Amino acid sequence: MSEWVDLNVGPHHPSTHGVLRLKVKLDGEIVREVEPVIGYLHRNAEKLCENTFFCDNLIYFDRMDYVGAPGMEVGYLEAAEKLLGIFPPERAVWIRTIMAELSRIASHLIWLAAFGLELGMLTPFFYCFDLREKIMTMFVEASGSRLLTNYCSIGGVYQDFNEKVIAEIEEFLRVSPKKIEEINSLFIKNDIFISRNKGIGVLDKETAIEYGVTGHMLRASGVEYDVRKAEPYLAYSQLNFEIPTSTKGDNLARYIVRVEEIRQSVKIISQAVKKLPEGPFFNPKAKKSMMIRLRGDGEVYARTESSKGEFGVYIVGDGGVKPYRVRVRSPSLRNLSVMRELGKNVMIADLVSILGTTDLVFGEIDR
Amino acid sequence: MVEFQPGEERGKDGRRIIKVRKENLFETLKRLKSEGYIHLSLITGVDRKDYLEVVYHLHSLEKNEYISVKTVTYNGVVPSVTPLWKSADWEEREEYDLMGIKFEGHPNLKRLFLPENWVGHPLRKDYDLKNVQYINVDEDGEDYATFDQGDGW
Amino acid sequence: MSLLARTYNIFSFLGYYADTFLTYLIDSIIFLLAAAIAIILTIYFFRKYMARVQLRIGPNRVGKFGTLQLIADALKLMGKESILPKERDDFPYKVAPILVFAGLMVAFSLLPFGSFFWVGNVVISNSEVGIILLFAVLAIMPIGEMLAGISSHNKYALTGALRSVAKDISFEVPMMISVLAIVVMASARTPSSLTIGSVVSTEILPYGILQPLGLFVFYIAMIARASYTPFDMGESESELVSGYSTEYSGMRFGLFYVGMFGSILLGSFIISLFYLGGYNGPYEWNLGLIYLLIKTVIVVVISFTVWLSMPRIRIDKFVNLGWKYLFPISVFNLVLAGFLTLYLGW
Repeated sequence: MSEWVDLNVGPHHPSTHGVLRLKVKLDGEIVREVEPVIGYLHRNAEKLCENTFFCDNLIYFDRMDYVGAPGMEVGYLEAAEKLLGIFPPERAVWIRTIMAELSRIASHLIWLAAFGLELGMLTPFFYCFDLREKIMTMFVEASGSRLLTNYCSIGGVYQDFNEKVIAEIEEFLRVSPKKIEEINSLFIKNDIFISRNKGIGVLDKETAIEYGVTGHMLRASGVEYDVRKAEPYLAYSQLNFEIPTSTKGDNLARYIVRVEEIRQSVKIISQAVKKLPEGPFFNPKAKKSMMIRLRGDGEVYARTESSKGEFGVYIVGDGGVKPYRVRVRSPSLRNLSVMRELGKNVMIADLVSILGTTDLVFGEIDR
Repeated sequence: MVEFQPGEERGKDGRRIIKVRKENLFETLKRLKSEGYIHLSLITGVDRKDYLEVVYHLHSLEKNEYISVKTVTYNGVVPSVTPLWKSADWEEREEYDLMGIKFEGHPNLKRLFLPENWVGHPLRKDYDLKNVQYINVDEDGEDYATFDQGDGW
Repeated sequence: MSLLARTYNIFSFLGYYADTFLTYLIDSIIFLLAAAIAIILTIYFFRKYMARVQLRIGPNRVGKFGTLQLIADALKLMGKESILPKERDDFPYKVAPILVFAGLMVAFSLLPFGSFFWVGNVVISNSEVGIILLFAVLAIMPIGEMLAGISSHNKYALTGALRSVAKDISFEVPMMISVLAIVVMASARTPSSLTIGSVVSTEILPYGILQPLGLFVFYIAMIARASYTPFDMGESESELVSGYSTEYSGMRFGLFYVGMFGSILLGSFIISLFYLGGYNGPYEWNLGLIYLLIKTVIVVVISFTVWLSMPRIRIDKFVNLGWKYLFPISVFNLVLAGFLTLYLGW
């Protein structure tokens, strides 16, 4: 029996998306064991949330999945608004739906770009960012900032969509289908890409459920589970879309599922823009002077489908102006934990591509 | 001290909350798993000052139902559910790390986020936030915590 | 009259030994400068072309259209601190980048570049066994990469070096066999079939048309030699940080970088010489250099396009490709070339 070589992949490594460290045991080119080590970006957002007002906690959620910030805000507000008993008006609900879907596309595009880089494809990276830039300019117009939007707030949204935002969304809807197909063809029509991903990193259904995996990884393994359908929140029950699934469970299936999700998101946005109702965008019960006096009691668990999977927020209130306990279910953490199974007896190059399809964002994993 | 009553109630969001005693926790979860709640979604510890509350969120894919199972512990020890779900491994390590709940029977109960010799469990209500700890890295690449700044980076 | 002969005539009053020495010295310096400028232009062109492909602008700040960017980069690399790993193997660590660069330059100097108006034949060395010498020199560069990887005391670098070696032995055999096919064909037309110049002058019909399989094998081998995507397993950035050059910094890293682009240029020159007719062209004999450059630029553009559109192949699949596909194809090509030469007299 040959001796295995210990190798630390990360925390500084081009393909670990920030600060993941993988303790790898190598047998030549073959990886025998993987043990992920996390916590290098740990800020304990859950503790921070206990020391701030309900309305201020939003900024910590922005910084969790920083590539799709509005999606995280929606996740927190689902729980917080139920706890506080303040509900947004109809228009705000639709605006939040649009923002959540746009952030999903933005996040998926970042993933696609990084996945290309991990396989050594430099060019699709820029195509993805070119398309994402359109969403970013729209975020700037709507909220005033590009990445950490802090756009939604308790009882509605920070400001209304103006004509320019609507025009930019429509422009995005006009150009995106063609561009998405173009980006997709850069990947899927390449034989080397197929050979690098087909049959690699197969995750079967039982293991996926056992490890608590959600999101695209679970759907690619053959479980049709999407919170937007299973427990519709926001305006998803009034929208027409499909959940892409696959039964293969390998890298290629995960890639295909994700690209299809982008297409479905575009479809959702185009419906939502048409249905966007007129009216107030803010619940007057939560106006600025009242915001820090909101008190919550009891406990609420709300789950939303973030771009990575099921994003759950569990808030316990004790009747005070600050939450007593906030617990976040981060989907990427569960998706990462299955690396211990997927990373056994694969080549180094495959380890990197499996890591790529997992889609990790460390702001959310370490919190 | 509030006496803990096993039973069932509805939370503010309409979910079922099943309250069980610590001794019956493992059997209850095992029964629920066989009933179709195969997805262990979340383990949460809540520090109620006198006692610790541990909440398990379970999900059934077939019934499309989300329930929570609640138990309390006065000495900070609850049985581990790693034999039932593999995802409980990291969940329990995280709760041990931040909340200080000891899971009896966990195969590898180490800290998940913080360095191994970190003092205290940050999510406890009595955790002293003013006490600054510094993280350094030793020659093997493992990180450790100290109360003085050390060499720094 | 060649460039060499002209310089020789200028210094003839100094006597034989001094004349020869000065001629080769001056020609080598001119040639080194020319090669360096050519590589810099290649890098500049690559960056502009890459930017075009990727919806970007590319270098546009330093100088007009960013033309001075490369000089600025070179100055920056020279000014950088060269960080040395503590437990390196000192001599091989320092000699490895020089080996890569020197091997590249010597390989350049062995090529004939055709004639150019009054300058005459642009050639530095006219060896009788030029082809053998050229590929012997090309085999130096992998040794430099291997030394770099092993002496760096880094696991990534070591793995990168191992991959480089595995890659090299799997493409060099098919490459040599496909070159042998050319020598076989040329031997029927010229008595000195190992001299690069005389092989190229037999290409009235380019060997790329006579041996498309050989061209295919040789082109893949040249991509692997220059080690860019899809065959950059040795330095694959997302897997092995930077492969064998992980621990290098400053100008030593710069030498590896130049070596890579130099290999692309060198490979394109070799392909256009051996397979695309070299400096033979339709009209003026004196325009040989221009014809060669045009063909080379076309090959370079194709190489860059391949680079920018492909993901990286896995090392085991490349070794499979080398031994299970390229090797039989090249052997078949050799047999075919022999058959064509012996029985059909092409």
